[in-house]
Amino acid sequence: MTSIVFRRVLSTIPVMGVVALFVFSLLYIAPGDPAAVIAGDQASPEDVERIRQGLGLDRPYLVRFFEWLLQILRGDLGVSIFTNLPVTTMIAQRVEPTLSLMIVTLIIAVGVAVPMGVVAAWKADTWIDRSAMGFAVFGFSTPVFVVGYLIAYLFALKLGWFPVQGYVPIARGVGPWLHSLILPSVTLALVYIALIARITRAAMLDVLSQDYIRTAKAKGVGQRQILFVHGLKNAAVPIVTVIGIGVALLIGGAVVTESVFAIPGLGRLIVDAILRRDYPVIQGVVLLFSFVYVLVNLGVDLVYTFVDPRIRY
Amino acid sequence: MDRRTFLQASLGAGLIGASGGLAAPAIAQGAAKKTLKFVPQANLANFDPIWGTQYVVRNAAALVWDTLYGVDEKLQPQRQMIESEEVSDDGLVWTFKLRSGMKFHDGEPVTAKDAVASMVRWSARDPMGLMIRGVQNEIVAVDDLTFRWSLKKPYPKMLLALGKNNAPCSFVMPERIAKTDPFTQIKEYVGSGPMKFMAKEWVPGAIAVFEKFGDYKSREEPSSWLAGSKRMMLDRIEWVIMPDPATALAALQNGEIDWWENPISDLVPVLQGAADVAVDIADPLGNVGAFRMNHLFPPFDKVEVRKAVLTAMNQEDYMRAIVGSDDALWKPMPGFFTPGTQFYTEQGGDILKMKNLDAAKKLLEKAGYDGTPVSCVVAQDQPITKAQGDVTADLLRRMGMTVDFVATDWGTVGARRASKKPPKEGGWNMFHTWHAGADCLSPAGYNALRANGEKAWFGWPSSPKTEEGITAWFEAADLEAEKAALAKTNAAAVDDVVYGVTGFFLSYQAWRKNVTGVRKGPLPFFWDVTKEA
Repeated sequence: MTSIVFRRVLSTIPVMGVVALFVFSLLYIAPGDPAAVIAGDQASPEDVERIRQGLGLDRPYLVRFFEWLLQILRGDLGVSIFTNLPVTTMIAQRVEPTLSLMIVTLIIAVGVAVPMGVVAAWKADTWIDRSAMGFAVFGFSTPVFVVGYLIAYLFALKLGWFPVQGYVPIARGVGPWLHSLILPSVTLALVYIALIARITRAAMLDVLSQDYIRTAKAKGVGQRQILFVHGLKNAAVPIVTVIGIGVALLIGGAVVTESVFAIPGLGRLIVDAILRRDYPVIQGVVLLFSFVYVLVNLGVDLVYTFVDPRIRY
Repeated sequence: MDRRTFLQASLGAGLIGASGGLAAPAIAQGAAKKTLKFVPQANLANFDPIWGTQYVVRNAAALVWDTLYGVDEKLQPQRQMIESEEVSDDGLVWTFKLRSGMKFHDGEPVTAKDAVASMVRWSARDPMGLMIRGVQNEIVAVDDLTFRWSLKKPYPKMLLALGKNNAPCSFVMPERIAKTDPFTQIKEYVGSGPMKFMAKEWVPGAIAVFEKFGDYKSREEPSSWLAGSKRMMLDRIEWVIMPDPATALAALQNGEIDWWENPISDLVPVLQGAADVAVDIADPLGNVGAFRMNHLFPPFDKVEVRKAVLTAMNQEDYMRAIVGSDDALWKPMPGFFTPGTQFYTEQGGDILKMKNLDAAKKLLEKAGYDGTPVSCVVAQDQPITKAQGDVTADLLRRMGMTVDFVATDWGTVGARRASKKPPKEGGWNMFHTWHAGADCLSPAGYNALRANGEKAWFGWPSSPKTEEGITAWFEAADLEAEKAALAKTNAAAVDDVVYGVTGFFLSYQAWRKNVTGVRKGPLPFFWDVTKEA
């Protein structure tokens, strides 16, 4: 197992290299100029040019790329063009809120969606199934920001149960931390619940029609044990897969959710950086996201071996 | 440990954590009373007010750095860090004496050397500063509190240059910081203003924190914009960045923030209906909407084509697109200087009142317009530029012009507008923007009005008569001469269509009613602002 993990981690290096080349090149050819944004609206063209030179943006592509690559290899993501802060510092400032949001969202989503999908499959073609799948369609088709505004209006403005916006670090206590995360996490979880619930239902329907389930029923095994032990365990591979794929969905959703709930996370950081053309920050955050995604996929592959002993690497 | 024991232990640990967390005091009650949460107009992405001249940087800098002079509500420069000044009879030597006892946030005294280094850096970036540099012999510290600025030619607007609120302002920094190249960002944020910048708490894009500077030596005169007393009644100000206006609206209604600098006009009716929220005009000097035409390339290289656009346009269309149906928020503006201020003039501005599409078409025909596409670059991520761009595109099409509408973002417009290449090769014909009314009071800091060809602002207009008028204003000895110079400037700038003015518009600010002392002004002034528990 250790050698598998080691080999898979090693294999992420060329992947990250390709991502780095792609991101750098994309930003190089993209229109826009951080110097113009820095200089402000009243700046003269000469001022903009001087700032561009000061930032080294007038140097050739290859020079800039290899300098950046060497920096990355030294573990240095560079310094933000705008804030003059190291990119690693800026990422470190933003990791906790995004990670918290994703973890709580994941817990809510899996906690709701898996039982929902199992029950929908168990009660297939009944009103329970249709309600669950209707909810899933609603979750899929409603934009995250609409859900965010609606629940913030109801639960924060009208009922006053939660804050409208903001993030409380976990260092101030789990209670306040969780309190600040409930609305954004529920907002973000909705689409995720829809996705997982549908896949769970489909996988469970397949499993529940298998002979060994019929045999289990004939032997008098309880319904709960059939569903959650015999059924769910055998339907777990597609569910785990979709949870892994959904992490990318979470990253994308976090960008919107963090804006709607004014959470100072990585999603907002990268959006701000893109709008300002803060190249080192964009490159750093994209690399981080790519790395996380590769790790999640590795994690999913490893989980397969636990839920299905037939899978070997 | 089996699975059940593990789960029970985890649950127990979680509950203990949660209960501990709930009991943990987030903010002490006393501290909360004196903390004000403010939502600024934009993200404070950098904090060097000389290197970056965005308004948001200037506004934050006014808390941390003090200026030698400051303009008051009457737009007159008043002494701020300066105790006294003397100017020689020939107007060539200015001697400034600083107030004694002023300290920087690191405890060091403010000296003439700091002021000199700061003025050297500022004057390398500021348009008026560059003019002073152009006639400067030297600037030197005479003693700890006195410095001398000697010139080759008199510069009557010296005090205005040192006190104006247009970015970059003449902020005074410690010498070691002020010696940073003006095109390189500073790394320390040490000022002598009423608030300290808490760099360790700064999360760009999320929060910037300022705390009261106990050793600030305030002036005794009544507070008036950047002049007079700057007494801080608050211990701490948190600038909370909220990218989403709807979130800011809800947060203000819910009491989670105290003051919102620029609510968008669509949301103002909701705020006006909220019981605990006060709403008022933010800046009486407002804003001037604008489109720039590229004078270097067809079709706008011909003044007749530029005049055709002015003849056809209706400023009301632009203003309603920006501010909506609230008539209190806009005015037509047949000129270039801020309405309601001393240099406002409509001389030569009749063409902006015509709104005559047929006459415009005839002008276009006379100019020989051949259907050359107009590359109209419009930032979609800025509501003001988007609204203006949509109106212009429709106007040009109705005039019979071919429009290449380039929908993009502000970052791209910022880069593309600097290109002097032909539109087909990545240049442009037209872009939209707006200027703070405070920048359009006079030629001081009014870059957009300059018409000195290749050295002018984007669009590179060339209008010798406009330049003559601007020079006459800088050299004018009295108010009447200044007014006369700017009336001629206005007429010449309209006649040559230096740029297109789309109108004058105001915006609102909103705050919780337990906050008092909020004033109207070109930037948010925090001195004398208080907050009840």
